Amino acid sequence: MADPIHQFKIESLLPLGQVGGAHLDFTNSGFYMLLSVGITAALMLGATASRRIVPSRIQSVAELAYEFVADTIRNTIGEGGMQFFPLVFSLFMFILVSNVVGLVPYQFTVMSHIIVTAALALLVFFTVIIYGFWKNGLHFLNLFVPKGIPIYMLPLIVFIEVLSFLSRPISHSVRLFANMLAGHITLFVFASFVTMLGGLGVLGWFGATLPLALTVALVGLELLVAFLQAYVFTILTCIYLNDALHPGH
Amino acid sequence: MARGLRLSTELVAGVLVGAGIGWALDRWLGISPWGLIVFLLLGFAAGVLNVVRAAGVPPGDT
Repeated sequence: MADPIHQFKIESLLPLGQVGGAHLDFTNSGFYMLLSVGITAALMLGATASRRIVPSRIQSVAELAYEFVADTIRNTIGEGGMQFFPLVFSLFMFILVSNVVGLVPYQFTVMSHIIVTAALALLVFFTVIIYGFWKNGLHFLNLFVPKGIPIYMLPLIVFIEVLSFLSRPISHSVRLFANMLAGHITLFVFASFVTMLGGLGVLGWFGATLPLALTVALVGLELLVAFLQAYVFTILTCIYLNDALHPGH
Repeated sequence: MARGLRLSTELVAGVLVGAGIGWALDRWLGISPWGLIVFLLLGFAAGVLNVVRAAGVPPGDT
């Protein structure tokens, strides 16, 4: 049986040189990131090229995406959160498009590498810290002091709140990464059952219909997961940004 | 399953961060194993707090 992990292998497409002993390469991962950005940009530019009152099909896709992210921000942060719309919308579209591109057979899934999701989660994490201190000054530290706690409990609670805050980028990134990795491994394993059973002769062909049906169903499920995980990442980003704007709970 | 995975990562993240900080403090201050013990427990508490928040339990009900 072929190796189900092989699909996540990073390969160098274009060596760019060395910096301090570390190789800099344009990899397949980088290529698919650029591809996702390109598709998103093409979608948005194509949609807004001929603005009409009655939208064309591609324009209504773009409007739907805009409304969806804008509603998410308004519901979790409020109207003041719309200043973060470019960041949140970019994150959502990048994750969604790269997940869907990864579902096409033989294509690489960018979000199946934890370093990519961790970089995105840390971007949000540092945005929250820097913007929180810039906007609220030291009042941002109120985030770690819940109201209505007896004074003798405070040192313990503050420690726990700080640890809880520090653990955010981990759960934020692991969730997206684990879902994409597990989904693609499952798909590969079931799809390889089809070829294994199919090689056994006529009886195997009948047996192979079962994993084939499952693979078809799994592709549908993975499409849902690709969208859902992009949405979960977005809504968590909004919840964390909400803390930066309103640190007093 | 998505919900279960979400809640379990919240708990594990809290424990991991606590253990990481405790281990680093042990190495840095040479107080092994006390940093790990204290921060692992604090990290566990933070993980539980994360799960309670992620599960959407209203603040008055805990």
